[in-house]
Amino acid sequence: MFPTDFELYKPFFVTGLALGGVYALSGVGIVVLYRATGVLNLAFGAIGAMGALISWTLINHTSFPDWASYLACIVFGGLVTFAYGVIFGPPLADRDPLVKAAGTLGLTLILLGLMSYLWPPFGRTMLLPTSNYSYHVGFAGVDVTQTQIIGLAFGVLVTFLVGAFLRFTKLGTAMRALADDREITSTLGVPVRRVEAAAWLGSGLIAGAAGLLLSDLVGLDAVNLTFLVISSLAAALIARLRSLVATMVAGLAVGLCTALLTPILFWPNASFPVAKYQYASPFVIAIVALLFLARRRVVTVARTEG
Amino acid sequence: MPARGVRRGVDSGAARARSVSPETVVRAILIGGALAFVLFALPVLLSTYWIKVLTAVAIFAVVALGLNVLFGRAGLVSLGQIALLAVGGWIAARFLFLTSLPFPVVLLLAGLLTAAVGTLLGLPALRLSGLHLALITLMFAGVVAIVVPTTNFPNGGSGVLGHTESSLGSLAIRRPSIAHSDEAYFRYTVIVAALMFLLALAHVSAKAGRAWSAIRHSEPAALAAGVNITLYKLYAFTLASFMTGVAGGLYAGNVGKLYSYQFSGARTIDSVSLMAVVLMGGIFSLWGAVVAAVLQQLLPALLNDWFAFFRENPDFLFVIFGVGLLQVLVTAPEGLVTQFPRDMRNLGRLIIKPFRRRSGAAKGPP
Amino acid sequence: MGFRKVAVALALLGALLATAAIATGASGDSTAAPVGSGKQTKTNSVCGLGTGKKATGAVIKLGAIATKQPGTDFTDIPNMAKAYFDCVNNNGGIFGRRIQYFIETEQTDPGQIAALGKKLAESTKVVGMVGNTSIIECAINHKYWEAKGFYVIASGIAPECYGKTTNYSSVNMGPRYSSDGAVQYVIRKGVNKIVFDQSNVPGTGYIKAGPIAIAKAAKVPIVTFEDTVPIQDANSVALKLVQAAGKNGGVVLNFTPDQALLILQAAQKQGIADDVKAWGCSTPCNSDFVAAALGTVWDGKFGVNAELSLPSKPAPDSKLYRQVAAKAKLAFGLGSFSQMGFVEARVAVAALLNMKPPYTAKRVNQAFVGVTNFHTDILCNPWYFGKIAYHIPNNVDLTVTPNKGKMVIAEKCFKISAADPDIAKVRVIEKANPQLTKGKAYPLQG
Repeated sequence: MFPTDFELYKPFFVTGLALGGVYALSGVGIVVLYRATGVLNLAFGAIGAMGALISWTLINHTSFPDWASYLACIVFGGLVTFAYGVIFGPPLADRDPLVKAAGTLGLTLILLGLMSYLWPPFGRTMLLPTSNYSYHVGFAGVDVTQTQIIGLAFGVLVTFLVGAFLRFTKLGTAMRALADDREITSTLGVPVRRVEAAAWLGSGLIAGAAGLLLSDLVGLDAVNLTFLVISSLAAALIARLRSLVATMVAGLAVGLCTALLTPILFWPNASFPVAKYQYASPFVIAIVALLFLARRRVVTVARTEG
Repeated sequence: MPARGVRRGVDSGAARARSVSPETVVRAILIGGALAFVLFALPVLLSTYWIKVLTAVAIFAVVALGLNVLFGRAGLVSLGQIALLAVGGWIAARFLFLTSLPFPVVLLLAGLLTAAVGTLLGLPALRLSGLHLALITLMFAGVVAIVVPTTNFPNGGSGVLGHTESSLGSLAIRRPSIAHSDEAYFRYTVIVAALMFLLALAHVSAKAGRAWSAIRHSEPAALAAGVNITLYKLYAFTLASFMTGVAGGLYAGNVGKLYSYQFSGARTIDSVSLMAVVLMGGIFSLWGAVVAAVLQQLLPALLNDWFAFFRENPDFLFVIFGVGLLQVLVTAPEGLVTQFPRDMRNLGRLIIKPFRRRSGAAKGPP
Repeated sequence: MGFRKVAVALALLGALLATAAIATGASGDSTAAPVGSGKQTKTNSVCGLGTGKKATGAVIKLGAIATKQPGTDFTDIPNMAKAYFDCVNNNGGIFGRRIQYFIETEQTDPGQIAALGKKLAESTKVVGMVGNTSIIECAINHKYWEAKGFYVIASGIAPECYGKTTNYSSVNMGPRYSSDGAVQYVIRKGVNKIVFDQSNVPGTGYIKAGPIAIAKAAKVPIVTFEDTVPIQDANSVALKLVQAAGKNGGVVLNFTPDQALLILQAAQKQGIADDVKAWGCSTPCNSDFVAAALGTVWDGKFGVNAELSLPSKPAPDSKLYRQVAAKAKLAFGLGSFSQMGFVEARVAVAALLNMKPPYTAKRVNQAFVGVTNFHTDILCNPWYFGKIAYHIPNNVDLTVTPNKGKMVIAEKCFKISAADPDIAKVRVIEKANPQLTKGKAYPLQG
């Protein structure tokens, strides 16, 4: 029986928004770098995961103050992304966006291998101090932690601040121009290397911060955090990798949709209810959206050799 | 009349017009010799363990070949090949339990049905850019990763899914009637893999290959030349999926048991590492697929044997693949297959240089 | 030009590695006095013969296969077994002979696992398999081991490690029977409905059959779920479970510790942890780091089925275990994994000391299968192999609960309910073969 009792779904609106916040945060972080450098950073999750693991080690195995350990995560994210961007950005800059994304997959492999080697898999948890405070949502009958709200707010903040930065500031415009066409932009006298470096550093810091928040919201698991990126990629794809606001909205929508499927436990039949496939929703939605948006036939004119 | 040595080579219109060069004949004889060595000498020389490792190499060579053709010839990237391997394996296992069709027929069926799935997946190829296409295949892989743990693989049970939970009721997937032992199955797999390579070669040397080449260099130009871009791009997907489906069938028969662990979300990294090794192996030559399979399946086994560090930390291989992928993308897009002989040639020249100088000095000024 | 870049990248990578390694802090091996030496008595356990003299004779080769991949690492079990074998080698060995132990790791690839089995048996030529801990190795290799006459002393997970095959005997209970124990605990807490949730991996039907049978026998309604791992949305999962259980219900989890932690913490963060009467978990949750991660909020609220005694138990075997563990290369330190490795190795050594040369595969495995009534304070009941149809020697367990960052005993050794048909079968076998658990204890030193 398809459950139609609204009471059943109420609490999942809240968990859905929380999950959506997670997808939105990751998605926005990825699109930000794409808008600023033309590179789809698929290592976004892995970078954040490693930063969070480093933070965890500093908190649990050293006498570093907690705030410094959290900062270490963000700084690590910035440094690794910056290093990658500065070393591998320029040689791949003239290549197809696919090749540039493939490079970040190389970084993902490296980071995942390192994480598996350095941190054997057992239960680690990252409990940010903000998780000790929660608010009761009467409508849903569940509590929402401050961290979840911060996660959502951070996603919104990044969307609007970075969006405004890219559109209205000189540096931001330079970044967008660079992402669009590097050669022409360099002939216009824009300091290409420096602008790119700034873009990489900025997005790296966002990756680090997102990693820290996600390690609390989703769990401190290297593999899970690394491949969370694929689900949030769905949100980014729905927004056609262009609009930050659309990415954020898509992320929230996908999260809501996924969570709202949870109560459908016996339909269409008890062995294979919709609920069992709920985590395929980001992918299915993305595929449908992509096919719908690509209705018109396009002949791709690649400027450069792939 | 094509010479005997190239009976395995496939003739195309152009080849018929030219006479077969002695180079091709020599190459074909060498490949034939190597194949004979692999088929007949290796099972005698190596232990069962290494034969089983090489069986896995042969199976993955076919998967890598699909990706090699797709990316190297048609310029399309798919991150869903492992998911298609799961589909092919599932189809093969189901038919092997449901019917008593001979193994080769089941392989063909698995290949064709997987090709159908792959073609459906490739339809967006017509309209999306390279990056978006790669990402849609990644989404497909994500869906399979969620569905497979729920449907599981056939293991002799009844019903559409053919999966039984009872360990008493579960059976092993059968092997071909002529290839029960590990050594025999190894030979069988190598022969099927060789046939897949011939299939790829046939396409590459023929009209399809030329069309793909034209598309890769410039789509507008190819369009202007009258090449049906849609058809050939889609066909690349169909071919790659067919090969992966056949590989899935071989994979199912290898151990007789398939589990969803291999294809769940936790092993998404395998799709990435497959792409890495295919690129490292080289996409401008079909041999790159063999190198890719060696990297993916033989190298870990060798490192495991030689170094305690790798035995204790098998995941570290991902770091090596990541570095290798970056290296290939930045410096040697042709991959190891082209790079290695070039490196060897450079090394050779470096070694010979001092000797040449000396003999030049001994000869005295001209 | 490109080459230089790669060199720089590699240098950076090296620096990254170095800093991360420093951050994680590599632990050094302690060079202490000979561990495990002395006389084997009721109050003092030693490694093997306990002579304190290094063995220098011929080698006896043993092997193990364990899963190690991102997210799953069972190598602590064979690594601990290795440490015990080293201790035995330093204490006279097997009457002068040394044990050489070969550990192979696998990544749940069926082809790889089948190949490794053949490698160990035919290339490395091991005479016995001790310490196998793999998600699917039992299922893949059991026919092969049967054909070779091998009786494997293992830590089981797959159903084939317990029934249907006659040549595996595990020191642990595996997910089904451990979940049974957790369900029994929750029933004792007086719940009126049970919700059982497990990870969606092959074998869910086999695993949930146990809890379903026990709940039915206790006339408590039960609902079962499966969730994809790794869990991305723990909030929804926790909510779903709490909703289904209701105010007087109990939730029993069967997950790896990190995933179970996610669910529990999600319930806590959402403020719904107290909306059910009791929480239970199968044995993977039994470790101090789970207790520490959960925090004192969960003290006493959550019962974990423990297949082995507490690592801190003041008893001779447990004490020796702690001493040997200090010298072992363990990822997870003291805990059930290393305890299992210790017991498996100890059984194997006792079996080897109880047989006479030649140490061929056939004779060694006959010695392994001949182990009955093996006493150890790490297990509730004596362990056994024996030529019987079903091997679930560990079927009496405890319940532990977190308390101030550590696990403490909540319920002492109790029998897993025979409402589970498999356990019923085993009880019948044990009754028909009293030598398995009663009578003269298996001699530890031959």
